[in-house]
Amino acid sequence: MNTFMRWAGFVVVLFIAAPLVIVVPMSFSNASSLQFPPPGYWLGYYRAYFTSVDWLIPTWNSILIATATTILTMALVVPATFALVRHKFRGKGFADLMMLMPMAVPHIVMAVGYYSYFGDLGLVHSHLGVILAHTCLSVPIAFLVLSANLKGFDRNLERAAQSLGASPAKTFLHVTLPILRPGLVISSLFAFIQSFDETVVAIFISGRDAETLPRKMFDSIRQEADPVIAVISTLLFFVVLIGIAAPYFASALRSRAPKPSRPAGAH
Amino acid sequence: MTNYLQLSNITKTYGHFTALDDVSLSVDKGEFVTFLGPSGSGKTTTLMIIAGFEKASGGTVEIGGQSISQLAPHERNIGIVFQNYALFPHKTAVENVYFPLQMRGVSRVQGLRQAEDMLSLVGLKGFGHRHPKELSGGQQQRVALARALVFEPSLLLLDEPLGALDKNLREQMQIEIKRIQRSLGVTTIFVTHDQSEAMSMSDRIVVFEKGAIEQAAPPLDIYHRPKTSFVAAFIGESNLIPATITSAAAKTAESPTLGAFDYASTDVLTDGQKVTLLIRPEHIKLSRNPIEDRKNVSMVVETIVNYGDNALVIGRAGDIPMRVRVLGADVVIIREGEECYINWTPDAVFVITR
Repeated sequence: MNTFMRWAGFVVVLFIAAPLVIVVPMSFSNASSLQFPPPGYWLGYYRAYFTSVDWLIPTWNSILIATATTILTMALVVPATFALVRHKFRGKGFADLMMLMPMAVPHIVMAVGYYSYFGDLGLVHSHLGVILAHTCLSVPIAFLVLSANLKGFDRNLERAAQSLGASPAKTFLHVTLPILRPGLVISSLFAFIQSFDETVVAIFISGRDAETLPRKMFDSIRQEADPVIAVISTLLFFVVLIGIAAPYFASALRSRAPKPSRPAGAH
Repeated sequence: MTNYLQLSNITKTYGHFTALDDVSLSVDKGEFVTFLGPSGSGKTTTLMIIAGFEKASGGTVEIGGQSISQLAPHERNIGIVFQNYALFPHKTAVENVYFPLQMRGVSRVQGLRQAEDMLSLVGLKGFGHRHPKELSGGQQQRVALARALVFEPSLLLLDEPLGALDKNLREQMQIEIKRIQRSLGVTTIFVTHDQSEAMSMSDRIVVFEKGAIEQAAPPLDIYHRPKTSFVAAFIGESNLIPATITSAAAKTAESPTLGAFDYASTDVLTDGQKVTLLIRPEHIKLSRNPIEDRKNVSMVVETIVNYGDNALVIGRAGDIPMRVRVLGADVVIIREGEECYINWTPDAVFVITR
């Protein structure tokens, strides 16, 4: 790699990381609104976040909605993925397309649709409404991740299990599920993050009762630019960072555990 | 006990395509039978029907007199080794081998001990704690074999299990599989498209072609007395010469290009019957001049392929391509482009009627 490429890469990384460089210090700022660089530092806005019901209720709403969305998404996506990846049937192409549709359609279009349709059904301003809408948006993401995993799954493993005496149910439990676990975990994680992060639909239909964190942040920045937003952003960043880093630490710890020495001989 | 495994009139169709056409076969207990054939010949489909992963369109499969056609794969008690081994990646070697015992309700302590014993039998003592990805191809193969044998299956099916191994390892595993199979006495069906593998391992070879059995016979019978031109051409190297029987009593035939032939076959033939004469390359001698008491044919040498200990001389006798296998020391008498004589005795000529 030549010097120019290296510098170009450095600049790109810097550009991507810049919001973090700004947000993290601002969360410790003592200014009364979002201001960079901060005039001084204190932890007051962290206290404000953890003591204010105005912030904690949307946080709880977001966690609740994202969790429910994840469960509902996986309940739909797992059987759908098995059907679409493993079986041929009439209308399969259309079904494939419909699974991915919510990703292709702009969120704002979906949001307007939900606003009027859910309004008729009385689902606007309710947790259930947001959960259903978010599930629609999470399905294509979870489906893409899981179907890629399932396509790479060697079906001879299931045949082997069955020849060895495992019924179809036991084969699924002992072989298919454990091997697909990473794919299931990642697609659930994406479904969760999609919902937790989603703003446009939340603004349209969550209302006061089911207000999510991103919606509250958006409202707050429009009205007063409360530095608590920087606190939340920083906290979210570290939660995600820990989430990503944890598996690495876990595997590093495991590989440091003493292993039995390798026996010699035999081929 | 004879007729341990019995396939009766197995047919398999996919829409208009017939993958298997009326396949019948009996296998004795403890026999090592190889299904040999080109890809798409039906050998793997037959194996999958025995295992229960494919449903036959017609016909029955019986083991020990009991029909298993209606049983699900997990109820059949058949061990299978797949070409890619299909070891469970999330389990260690010994847990893989324990799996069939676990499914049969054997306790973990006893099952793992049994699995360790089986790993020792296949030469993997002390490798049990490793995951499949920490094992070489040959070792994975052995684990797969141990896993397919540990529950004392009524039948062992091997689906091209050596295809992914390099040549040396493959030969080693051929010997190893035979040793294990003999010591356990398990009835085995081995699928391959490699004829030398089939030759060296089998009690009996079943040659498949276009969804039907061409011939089922011991390896040397298949080699020396092939029933059809396809079998003759598929197994080993062969010279096939179209001819007509001139006198069945005098055992003579006539080839339009190579003239009159004597043959030694004892099959019942009729005068004027169209046949194919088979002469294996190693039964032909090469000489500068015609040799008495042998059938002599003049041949133009086109290519000489040297293997060190022997050489393959490829040439043309009239319009018929001929292959002659000679010892390495003998090949110095001839050069490419030269004309020479090839000759053989009547014993070397085998008559194929189909």
